[in-house]
Amino acid sequence: EFGDLTQESFELSEAALVRDVLYACQGIDGRYVRFDKEADGYIVDENLRIPRATRVLVRRLCEVGWLFKRVQGHISETLEQGTMEVIGTVGQALSSALQEELSEYYRLMAVLEAQLHNQIPFLAVGETGKSVGNYLSLRRLWVWLAEPLARMRLMAVLVDDCKCLRGGAMAGAIHAHAQHGDPLVRSFMSRLLRRVCSPLFEMVRRWVLEGEVDDLYGEFFILAQPVKAEALWREGYSLQSGMLPSFIPEPLAQRILRTGKSINFLRVCCEDQQWATEAAEALAAAGASANAGSLGYGETEVLETLVVEAAGRIDRHVIKIIYERYKFRDHCLAIKRYLLLGQGDFIQYLMDLVGPDLSQPANTVSSFKLAGLLESAIRALNAQYDDTEVLDRLRVKMMPHGDGDRGWDVFSLEYNARDPLTTIFTEQVMGSYLRIFNFLWRLKRVEHALSATWQTMKPNCSLGRPWTSVVDGAVKSQLVAVLRRCQTLRTEMNHFVTNLQYYIMFEVLEYSWANFLEEMEEAHDLDELIAAHEKYLGSIMEKALLGERSQLLSKTLFTLFDLILRFRGLADRLYENAREVQTRGRNATKQHTTEFFATMGEEMVAIAAEYSSLLEGFIAQLPVQQHVDLKFLSFRLDFSEFYTRQHMHTPNVRLKIKRTATPKS
Amino acid sequence: EEEVVEYSKSLIKGIITERDALSNDGDRAIGLFAPSVQELLVIDDLLFAMVGIEGKSIRITREKSRDKALTFQVDPSMDLSIQELTKRVLPLCENYMVVSQFNESRLQFKYGLVNHAFAAALRAILQDYHAMVAQLEHQFRLARLSLQGLWFFCQPMMGAMQALAVVVRKAFFKSLSGAAVLNLLQGQAAAIAGDNAARTLLQKLTQAASAPYFGILERWIHEGVIDDPYGEFFIDENKALQKESLSHDFNATYWQQRYSLKNDVPGFLASAAENILTTGKYLDAIRECGQNVRIPFSEDAKLTNSGSKRHYLDKINVAYNFASAELLSLIVRKFDLMGRLRSVKHYFLLDQGDFLVHFMDIAKEELAKRPVALSLEKLQSLLELALRTSVAASDPYHEDLTCSLERSSLMVQLQSFMKNGILKIDSPLESNSEPGSMTGLETFTLDYKTRWPLSLVISRKALTKYQLIFRHLFHCKHVERQLSGTWQAHQATRGLDFVGHSISRSYVLCQQMLHFMQSFEHYMTFEVLEPNWHIMDTKLQSAKSIDEVIQLHDFFLDKCLKECILLWPHILKSVEKLKSLCLQYATAIQWLIPSLYTLESPAEIKKTKRCRGQRLRMVKDGEDANFKNTIGQMENDFRKEMKELLSLLSSSSQTEPYLAHLAQGLQGQH
Repeated sequence: EFGDLTQESFELSEAALVRDVLYACQGIDGRYVRFDKEADGYIVDENLRIPRATRVLVRRLCEVGWLFKRVQGHISETLEQGTMEVIGTVGQALSSALQEELSEYYRLMAVLEAQLHNQIPFLAVGETGKSVGNYLSLRRLWVWLAEPLARMRLMAVLVDDCKCLRGGAMAGAIHAHAQHGDPLVRSFMSRLLRRVCSPLFEMVRRWVLEGEVDDLYGEFFILAQPVKAEALWREGYSLQSGMLPSFIPEPLAQRILRTGKSINFLRVCCEDQQWATEAAEALAAAGASANAGSLGYGETEVLETLVVEAAGRIDRHVIKIIYERYKFRDHCLAIKRYLLLGQGDFIQYLMDLVGPDLSQPANTVSSFKLAGLLESAIRALNAQYDDTEVLDRLRVKMMPHGDGDRGWDVFSLEYNARDPLTTIFTEQVMGSYLRIFNFLWRLKRVEHALSATWQTMKPNCSLGRPWTSVVDGAVKSQLVAVLRRCQTLRTEMNHFVTNLQYYIMFEVLEYSWANFLEEMEEAHDLDELIAAHEKYLGSIMEKALLGERSQLLSKTLFTLFDLILRFRGLADRLYENAREVQTRGRNATKQHTTEFFATMGEEMVAIAAEYSSLLEGFIAQLPVQQHVDLKFLSFRLDFSEFYTRQHMHTPNVRLKIKRTATPKS
Repeated sequence: EEEVVEYSKSLIKGIITERDALSNDGDRAIGLFAPSVQELLVIDDLLFAMVGIEGKSIRITREKSRDKALTFQVDPSMDLSIQELTKRVLPLCENYMVVSQFNESRLQFKYGLVNHAFAAALRAILQDYHAMVAQLEHQFRLARLSLQGLWFFCQPMMGAMQALAVVVRKAFFKSLSGAAVLNLLQGQAAAIAGDNAARTLLQKLTQAASAPYFGILERWIHEGVIDDPYGEFFIDENKALQKESLSHDFNATYWQQRYSLKNDVPGFLASAAENILTTGKYLDAIRECGQNVRIPFSEDAKLTNSGSKRHYLDKINVAYNFASAELLSLIVRKFDLMGRLRSVKHYFLLDQGDFLVHFMDIAKEELAKRPVALSLEKLQSLLELALRTSVAASDPYHEDLTCSLERSSLMVQLQSFMKNGILKIDSPLESNSEPGSMTGLETFTLDYKTRWPLSLVISRKALTKYQLIFRHLFHCKHVERQLSGTWQAHQATRGLDFVGHSISRSYVLCQQMLHFMQSFEHYMTFEVLEPNWHIMDTKLQSAKSIDEVIQLHDFFLDKCLKECILLWPHILKSVEKLKSLCLQYATAIQWLIPSLYTLESPAEIKKTKRCRGQRLRMVKDGEDANFKNTIGQMENDFRKEMKELLSLLSSSSQTEPYLAHLAQGLQGQH
């Protein structure tokens, strides 16, 4: 009776339903089980008379089919219709990996299909006279489909999430999904990732070992741009953080970037072939697992060893080439000696040599003549023993001049760095060197001027002596007073300039150079070398008060220089006249001389006043410069606390040299 | 992803919601059939119910009282005995529903690794269960299954499903994750220890669920990395704390709080939690030093929750020992901890005092200035000069020594130090209450640059303690020097015949004061600092971890502070008073003694050289009286204060025996 009842409530046999469910699981509408848009799922035909429980079970079973449709849809979309530009190789790899997973699923379906026709084996047909049912019932199907369902869900989730992503970003997204506690999910995802990431890893491998960006569809996390050779290192390649999969840590990515960049640098800028052997060695050192195609996801360590090996060798090679073939160290030293006035005799001689020419107005100065003078300066001095390669690069450069500029203002030396060193000595860097040179040149000139004044003063010191009674009393006392004022002022100025120069030469240049040498030793790759060089240059700029933040200070300084030069002119005139007075003796028109010395005295006082106010301003500004340590400069300038005391004696001027409190540590 | 998840959810709900679609098939109520047919119908329905689908005679109802709780209802028209038997099976179905719903929901990412693994383990069990149902159906199709048979076959699953449902309900309603789930599983396994089968099942589940947790643990104790995407691990990293804070912040808590334990430590790791935390912390510290260390471990040493607890606790211990030994040897060998400590000791505890004498000689004038007029740069350059010309030049670390000026006096600094252990920047009120007579001598102190990882041991806090001791010693030295100067002044008068004059009294007082200062210093350096240092030094040789080193070092400093009576304000006050008396005396004598000679012009000295006896007469009586008064006054004050100090010392020496030593040393003169 039960059999009849079942027959009655089932309008169709279970076998037919199972068959339809199997179809539905492959996304195909069956006779009774069809996709219903409204319910968004496969359901049994409403009109059939089957128990509700069976209906529910069928619907549940068909979830696999619903998911399958999504996955299948995505795969066919990408593999058949999509353009490679949109999908990219990674997307393609994902689709084909999914396709492979699906073929597993198809096999299961085929097996189930075959079972569908098997009768229950133990059933003696004769016992009841008819078959009660098939071996593969719906419930049994439920057991079979449980695992494929879990898998299919994962795939569907992936397909949904990765729809709009490409390249490294897609790999990153899948990696995020692999962070799951379920061992099934984990193994599934890592299997998938191995497939998906293989194009990416191949790209990394090619890049690290051969320096080729093998990236047709813009999926790689390194972006190449066509640039000129000298900008290759700085601008040629960049990291695209969006395409960097999260399982490659940022420092590693940087390292990868630099390695390939180094190879390209060697190939393009240095025309070096040696790197290929280095790369081959690196590959050998990293072991067999780093061979083509066998590098994959989950072996970040292997990748890291490969990258570290390759990077180490290539970087070492680049540094070696830079040092040995292109003599970076020698050029730096040469720049320091010539542009930063490190070679004292040369500068002194050059200044003596070109001095007269430079005093002319700027537009009359011939740069050819200056070049000739430079040449002769080199020939005459120790500099001639320098490498010719270095000397060839030293040039005279005339800067654009304005009205009233003297030769002094436009003259400068230039060092011509050639490829590939232009990667380090970029135009901007050379511009900084030029600025430093101009500053130093000016300082040197001021010092030179003060020395020259001294030279005029020294032979004439007898003028002020009490026993030279060539001139009569009144004029003489006036003369002595003016000369004395002149002497003290010169000494004061000299004190300032000498100390400033000491500070610049020893505290700034030598100190920075020593640091630079140390860092140069430690630099393992070109980036570090460039950074060290830039730090060296920056520290000089900052400490020599040429930086952005000390503009006010350097302006005061330049005004001071101008004032000193003016003083020199005045002193020259004074001494000329004094000598004249001396030679003419008593015959001189007393009236005229007195007047002259009076005006001279006034001017001298004016200059002295201006000088002391300027210097005061300068010293007062020193402690304000928080970013550089100028304490020693101010300490030296005011060593005997002369200026401090001067302020104490003039009570209406507030004390400007403050003791700064303990520096903030 | 959302869409897929939503879909799956709706499918589960569909079981219930589809009730509306329930077509009244025109079926007859089950009671209308013969009992034998009823049994077959019920079995069929039960097989559906067992996988959570309602059939004709067994319906699902949602109970309003307990939300989300589902119960199965049997058609009341059924034969009573069959009905009764059916009802017995129903709890299994209900439990299945609970477990399967939990399983579906917890696989989502947001629930964390432990929940994922737990759900995956549950899924395996459910799969077995489904297979069982399919088997039953097979038997049923073969017409070999009766209701009794079904009941019998379900037995093993009943218990298991029941145990699971209990756990799952708890986890679900409290929405537990991470360690809490593991704790729950373990607790439940312990709670049903009597039921062997269920316990084994739960233990198996625990093992599966804790696998990812052990994965995280493994990376932490082997590499010092927290690889914890869902925040389940019991160690919390506070990225806001910077290691640099150690060298300038007095209250730096980098070492203590950079990594901390969360509240939910899984029970099976609770005993080792501290060790685990320290292991990773050490590894992280090694990495911060720029070293890359990975604990070598063999493949078979993978941490699992299987087997006995000893197994993984041993592994953790091995890792802990390795990490602590590695970090310690790194700090001691590569960063030369002992050398650093010795160097600090040279300067702050004056164990090679020549540089200090030299420094005090050349910086005398600068230090005598008022704090506002002091130039720190000048002091610094003088200090460097002193360092370079003394034994200290052979110390490779002498360049790290700098000097600084405190704003408050030692007493004030100590007070705030003891009050809350926090050195605040003094409020203006406090500095106003300071005596205005402070000079560089009172405010001068040394400072030392320390860098990671040495700043772990020589932290700002430790340095402050060193500074306190140094300031104390420095001032004592200063007083002693002043007294020595007085002694020299006295020596100059030796040639003169001052018999019976009060200057001899002054001489005695000077000796007393010198004795006081010297024995006090002797006490501090030879009875406190040196022995304690040696004790620490020997202990450090056998230290096993950096924490032990830090602790020993702190203990040393605290002990020194205490025994140098810096933590005894009333005694210190008395000593300070004595010192100020000494200083007063020294200043007074330096004025008074020359005033005794001034009467004698060089010419007169020449003249009187022949007749010494006349000299005494040269001293004015008035001057002598003045001198006598001053000396007498000071002598009284000093004796009184000294007595007070001694009584203070002896009264406290009951509890603190070292004070008795000091008292003894000082007492020699009385």
